[in-house]
Amino acid sequence: MTLTSTKKYTGITTLALTVLFLFSAAAIAAEKSLDDRVNEIAYLLMCPVCQGQSVAESNSNLANDMRQIIRKQLEEGKTNQEVIDYFVSSYGDSILASPPKKGINWLLWVMPGVAVVLGAVGIALFLHKSKRSEDEVEFIPAAPGEESESEYLKKVDEELKKYE
Amino acid sequence: MRIVNSIIKFTVLAVIILILAVLGYALFGDRDITKTSPLVGKEAPSFTIKLYDGKRISSEELKGKTVLLNFWASWCIPCRQEAPALDEAWEKYKDRDVVFLGVNVWDDNENAMSYMEKFGGQYPNGIDPEEEIQVNFGIGGVPETYFIDKTGKIRDKYNGPLTGEIIDYYLDRAMKPGEEETS
Repeated sequence: MTLTSTKKYTGITTLALTVLFLFSAAAIAAEKSLDDRVNEIAYLLMCPVCQGQSVAESNSNLANDMRQIIRKQLEEGKTNQEVIDYFVSSYGDSILASPPKKGINWLLWVMPGVAVVLGAVGIALFLHKSKRSEDEVEFIPAAPGEESESEYLKKVDEELKKYE
Repeated sequence: MRIVNSIIKFTVLAVIILILAVLGYALFGDRDITKTSPLVGKEAPSFTIKLYDGKRISSEELKGKTVLLNFWASWCIPCRQEAPALDEAWEKYKDRDVVFLGVNVWDDNENAMSYMEKFGGQYPNGIDPEEEIQVNFGIGGVPETYFIDKTGKIRDKYNGPLTGEIIDYYLDRAMKPGEEETS
């Protein structure tokens, strides 16, 4: 075998290995992307038999079945929303991790913001009122015949000195 | 000034009560609590059950018959409680165009067979080899039972152990044609 043909074979082998590597990497990336999509949907669904756990977090049999079904439906070419709609049709809106933004449910999304704004307005009003009250405080001299507090304290001091 | 303060306090209290009322309505007010499943009133999801006697039965074959579809597992204690009532009811209804079908879920065959020997289950029982029927029917636990009418529509769902009276009540409703479902 000549040096030229050896170099040629080495080049072909390198090329083949590179192509193989690229295909493997693409396959791994595709698999990861499916896993990611399964997880993404599983986090949006609550496990019906668990306490506050999503389908992604739960190890229950039902959550496991649900993850399998998500994967199968994604492999069949369904969109994320179609998969979610399928679960909603079986379990109702309560399967969703967050309430759907429709109808009266909008209030659940809007109200926390409204409450924060109202709270801020309330605090601002309170602070404004407190400041104004402070400004309005005037020195009222003791009325004739009344002893001011300092005179009273002077008397107390004098009395105490008597006993020292 | 005292009157202004009272008005402000009243307004703040009224706003808080209003917010709580609206949130309460948003959370609980818009729900149809009489329905135990969103599938009630709709066409039952199609299924094929592999029975323990080796045969297969599909939802298509059951059209024209009233179906009691019961989900159970061998480890489920309430399932044991309802098993005698289901057997008795099956004896009562088997000649009246009513099909009882038990679906074993989240279990293994050996335990399921042993359960049926001990606690009953004379009517057809089996599993969904695809393990999808429980999710298609929106099962959240066992026992849960669906009552399907002759047109293939789900008339009712019952969560928890059945008794003879409960079975009679729901089968009676499922066997009556055209009645509006309420549960």
